[in-house]
Amino acid sequence: MAKIEPVTGHYLYVPFEGEEYRIFYEEAGRGIPLVCLHTAGTDSREWRHQLNDKEIGERFHVIAFDLPRHGKSIPPKGWWKEEYKLTAQFYADFVVAFCRELGLERPVVMGSSMGGNICLQLAQRYSDYFRALIAIEACDYSPGWWLDWLWHAQVHGGEACATAINGLMAPQSPFEYRQETWWYYSQGGPGVFKGDLYFYSIDHDFRGDCEKIPGKIPVFFMTGVYDFACTPEMTQKTAKKVRNAECIIMEEIGHFPMSENPVTFKKYLMPVLHKIK
Amino acid sequence: MPAFDVRWVERWQNMVNQDSVARLLGRHFSADVMLEFGPSAYVVSFERGEIRRLQHEIGAESAYQFALRAPAETWAKFVQPVPPPMYNDIIAMSHTLHGRLKIEGDVKVMWQNLRAFAWDLDLMRAVKE
Repeated sequence: MAKIEPVTGHYLYVPFEGEEYRIFYEEAGRGIPLVCLHTAGTDSREWRHQLNDKEIGERFHVIAFDLPRHGKSIPPKGWWKEEYKLTAQFYADFVVAFCRELGLERPVVMGSSMGGNICLQLAQRYSDYFRALIAIEACDYSPGWWLDWLWHAQVHGGEACATAINGLMAPQSPFEYRQETWWYYSQGGPGVFKGDLYFYSIDHDFRGDCEKIPGKIPVFFMTGVYDFACTPEMTQKTAKKVRNAECIIMEEIGHFPMSENPVTFKKYLMPVLHKIK
Repeated sequence: MPAFDVRWVERWQNMVNQDSVARLLGRHFSADVMLEFGPSAYVVSFERGEIRRLQHEIGAESAYQFALRAPAETWAKFVQPVPPPMYNDIIAMSHTLHGRLKIEGDVKVMWQNLRAFAWDLDLMRAVKE
């Protein structure tokens, strides 16, 4: 019998700011919508283990989509005319537009890295819409990544971007999964990783805004000890400023828990998911 | 802590030169790199992914394209079989948040060859004392 995963893919047209974006997403499971956001420069493949997890799928409708320019989601018209720079406003509003277009009712958002940082923006601006936010490898300010070398005609973008993030993963994570994450990173379009990092390191400066989060919904911060871009201390410092927040530090894991070590990540994730009703 | 002496660096050189992945990734990696382990410094000459030459008598006229400089204690953590957080990678150690390693010179050459170079440096963890 053929071995086929329970994960299915679709293309959704998302009207947004005068454009119609053709967005790819994958889904599995039934129940509370759990929208998973990929990290900078990659795509929804990072979430394949959670999409395939039967235990998660018993209570959650797991959905992972590719942002415009990422994975199978194509860029907007005229994308070649200007440098791509992701902004907090576009990112937050687009996540909401995607969820609303799918008709999701009070979804949970779970994102890592830039997908974690955007949870802070979502918590401030959209706490009436979401049920809970799981901010993985997130903090209020994560400088130092908007680097020209990540988009440079004389540097191989795939190899440079992927190797730049390699050390964000823990040595305890299975080498094969670390290499798989490297592989995803090697496949971003030119300037996409750097453009995402404009949000990650420049536009997302939330240091003066954490206290403005109304605290209506829980925000779960989860950070791995090998994350040198958003260290446990940076997450703890941020979480202390956010009302209704819980901070979980994960041992023996790095910046890409869902893809670099899904087994270790699940041990930390399941207690969080149990708290979400 | 490793001595980071000539014998240690030569052992690393042998590991790189015997590693088939290093050769595969480094097919186009040719560069002279200064590696400074605190007081011990070497110019390592990579040629098509192999380390062809080690210079350990460094002077003002020693030429290289880029340099990695860190205290020996920092490198000692990097080369542990399971390095501690923030010390497991040169991008980690040199990141603006941490500043434990200085990368200087024509760093474009490093970025052009980062995959092969990082692979080679990781092989330091298997060097026996």
